[in-house]
Amino acid sequence: MKQDAHAFLLRLKALFVKRRLDREMADEIAFHQEMLKEKLVRQGVSLSEAHHAARLRFGDDRRWHERLRELWQFRWLENLRRDIGYSVRVLRKSPGFTAIAILTLALGVGANTTVFSIVNGLLLRPLPVPESDRLVVLGISQGRPNPDYSFPEPLFRNLENRHETFSQVFASFGTNAEAKGNSGTERVRIQMVSGDFFSGLEVAPLMGRVLMRADDAKGRSPAGFAAVISEGFWNRWFGRAPDVVGQRLRVDNALFTVVGVMPKRFTGTNPLERPEIFVPLAAEPAMDGEQNLTTAGLHAWWLTVTARLQPGTSVERANAQVAAASQSVLKELAPDANWLRQRDREHFHLVAEPGSAGFTYIRLLFTKPLVAVFAMCGGVLLLACLNLASLLMARGAARQKELATKLAMGATRSRLIQQLMAESLMISIGGTAAGLAVAPGIGGALSALLLGGQSEVNVDTSLDIRVFAFAALVSIVATLLVGLVPALQATSSGLNEQMKQGQHTTQASERHRVLPRVMMAFEVALALMLVVGAGLLSSSLIKLYRSGAGFDPRGLESIAISMDHQPLRGEALMQFYQRVGEELRREPGVKAVSWQWIVPLSHMTWDESFDAAGGKEEDIHENSVGPEYFKAMRIPFQDGRDFRWNDGHGGGEKIIINRTAAQLLLSGRNPIGQVLSKKDKDKVIAYEVIGVVGDAKYEDMRQSVPPTIYHAMTQADKDEPPSFNAVVRVEGSSAGLGAAARSIVQKINPDIPAPKVSSMERMVDESLSAERTMALLSGFFAVCALMVTGIGLYGTLAYSTARRTTEIGIRMALGAKRVQVARMIFAQNSAVALAGTAGGLGCALFGSKVLASFLYGTSVRDPWIFGASIVLLALIASAASLLPALRAARTEPMQAMRCE
Amino acid sequence: MLILKALYRGPQHGYAVAEWIQGTSQQVLKVEEGALYPALHRMELRGLLKAKWGASENNRRAKFYELTAEGHKQLLAESRRWARLSSAVAFVMQTS
Repeated sequence: MKQDAHAFLLRLKALFVKRRLDREMADEIAFHQEMLKEKLVRQGVSLSEAHHAARLRFGDDRRWHERLRELWQFRWLENLRRDIGYSVRVLRKSPGFTAIAILTLALGVGANTTVFSIVNGLLLRPLPVPESDRLVVLGISQGRPNPDYSFPEPLFRNLENRHETFSQVFASFGTNAEAKGNSGTERVRIQMVSGDFFSGLEVAPLMGRVLMRADDAKGRSPAGFAAVISEGFWNRWFGRAPDVVGQRLRVDNALFTVVGVMPKRFTGTNPLERPEIFVPLAAEPAMDGEQNLTTAGLHAWWLTVTARLQPGTSVERANAQVAAASQSVLKELAPDANWLRQRDREHFHLVAEPGSAGFTYIRLLFTKPLVAVFAMCGGVLLLACLNLASLLMARGAARQKELATKLAMGATRSRLIQQLMAESLMISIGGTAAGLAVAPGIGGALSALLLGGQSEVNVDTSLDIRVFAFAALVSIVATLLVGLVPALQATSSGLNEQMKQGQHTTQASERHRVLPRVMMAFEVALALMLVVGAGLLSSSLIKLYRSGAGFDPRGLESIAISMDHQPLRGEALMQFYQRVGEELRREPGVKAVSWQWIVPLSHMTWDESFDAAGGKEEDIHENSVGPEYFKAMRIPFQDGRDFRWNDGHGGGEKIIINRTAAQLLLSGRNPIGQVLSKKDKDKVIAYEVIGVVGDAKYEDMRQSVPPTIYHAMTQADKDEPPSFNAVVRVEGSSAGLGAAARSIVQKINPDIPAPKVSSMERMVDESLSAERTMALLSGFFAVCALMVTGIGLYGTLAYSTARRTTEIGIRMALGAKRVQVARMIFAQNSAVALAGTAGGLGCALFGSKVLASFLYGTSVRDPWIFGASIVLLALIASAASLLPALRAARTEPMQAMRCE
Repeated sequence: MLILKALYRGPQHGYAVAEWIQGTSQQVLKVEEGALYPALHRMELRGLLKAKWGASENNRRAKFYELTAEGHKQLLAESRRWARLSSAVAFVMQTS
């Protein structure tokens, strides 16, 4: 053992002093020869004879060298070097094959690495904080399959001081805010954090200090909060001023003093956020004014709670401990009995989950689509590998003579396999490198596409050690998949016979043809599964678009006007909106303008229970809209009248309901003039229905239209949030709308932040972004799969047919007609495709269940899609089999028999 | 074993090792250079010998081999084994 180690070290050293070693070996032998000659001369032999004798005794110098050098080398390394050199030469000799092989693999590896880099950025990469494996995310299990991750403030405050399990428990909430300074007002991304947030994450500031517990104390004067800013914000807002610590900053309604700057890589506990200002949680009431979440107490569920485990505590133990502590936490909160009873009914208990990668809601939404896309990617890679393997197998068969010659000259089978594997290694390294080179760019584009609906989201898809490890793993697996089977087969024992018999041997090659055929069938099956998956997803997407939003999103713009921090309320606010509306209406191309509180498809919901006809309570979605809303949205009016600007609080509460609500609540009665009521605390509020409109999607394109009640914005309560969104119907370009809206609003009051314009058409697209991306990607993968399968089938079939040229020649010489030959070859080849299709059909029927949760209005066994996929694949397989068959039919019998 | 023994007396170059074995065995054991040098190199790799370049008796550059501690141990072990083996063979041959 020790001697082996010694030899290893010396050989390692020899790698670096190769030339000196060679010279020393030569010198040593030369010295020996000299001594020998001297001895002979001393014995009386003439010089030239002595010279001759020494030469005779030693033979060729180079052989000596070879023998000694071998001792000093790592044999495997030397072999590898030679194999690689040889492979490169072989591959360079057939550039067409090499290019196809590398491209195919680059496609597979590139797609997989890309998707993996998104998976990595979204799901795997740990937060850049010390000992991130000690972080846990706290959740609340309420009898649903998945826990909730939002906490009310009092519940968090109770947990904050429990240190049995955690060294720190801290909360954060990311939101948008307005930062005001000398340079104007700007929307920034902020993070409200509790006192232990920074001490729990253990990240040192770039400058100044972090926020501490004392900063998060309630009841401080609104002028005296501390804030920590990000490096990016420091650059942009303060121009990297070295004296930034101590500067004042107004965020929303509160004044802050900058106490520190956090480094760029710090994102807080949400890896997708890029917060610019961190403010204490205790500042929330001061920032948000009357409608704040802290005062809402147990009714506002908003905080993400993360904790750092005490050293030596496992996540499992922490989970058990928080679950056990749940009841006492609830009791200490001492809420009203009603609240407590409801929690009890839901089997309320706390859970702790591993949090080393932080927490983000996006993960809950996108994990499943990503995994599905990843699986499809894997399918394409497998397909690419299978394809290459069958191509290599065909090549291996073509090189049988070369290999047999090598075997005959004493090469062992394992050496030949090594050498063939070196070739596939070179291909897979080439493919992986090409794939890796394009992965980051595509990854960025893909994550933008996938997460397009979520602004404020930044997935870091850069290559890191995990992505490289993944790519390396993929390429190793690919090498094995691609190379091993063909190498084993090409070097199997029948070689000597092969050499003796040349290519006539139909018996021997019969056996050889089975494996490629099985692989081809497998490839067809895989391709069919991918095509079916893509078909199902696309048809679901088309159905989603066809089912429609209920309103016409084309040419519809939504303009968000933030009035939360303005003093205007009530009548004055309505006059402001009416005036802005009238001015917008005068802009070129604008056909109609109205207002809405909740933008459809923005995932915001407002719902309450209303009394239905049979005395039941029904959950109804609500929105607050302006006059002419339904005209602007192009939601058809079925009955009754629209709201007017003079619908004040005087004449009773008026509502317009949608068709679903009319059916649900009034079941068939003429809705106009009916009164709907809802209980609000202890009084009952009555609403008069003045109109019925068509159904329109509310929260999400995927959900069916909920029963909806539209309130008149002019009847909104004074304490309701005052920010509305303008809906503007535009004909032609809407490019100037943003600037126009800004100047209109600024003219009235320069303090109002610039309005934000978003296109409703884009909202619809973004609402379906996950579906669109999945359909698009699966379509892309399906096309790749079809192409790869087509090429692979053609290559392999053409090759195996070409090998039967002689046989075909004989058949034709014996009287077979060309049509018969073509039919025979075609039948044999398409049998492979048929077998594959049958297998793929079975797998697809079984496997498409996985997609069920992604599909909207589409059966997982949609016969049309299955039929179309099979026809498509059959066409491609037939084309791939027909060409070799036709070529076989053109064989000239004499030529075929003469060429051997 | 023979090479180790040859070097027991002190550092030597390859030629001297061959000469010594041939001379001491009274020309019975002929050392082929084709076997000698690979053996020397192998032992060097295994750490039984240490090599360094020095001047030979006729003042020419030569590679001298020297026993290492490991080499001494190996020589001892092998000569013991050889003694046992040869006496056993001799014993067998003496019994008629």
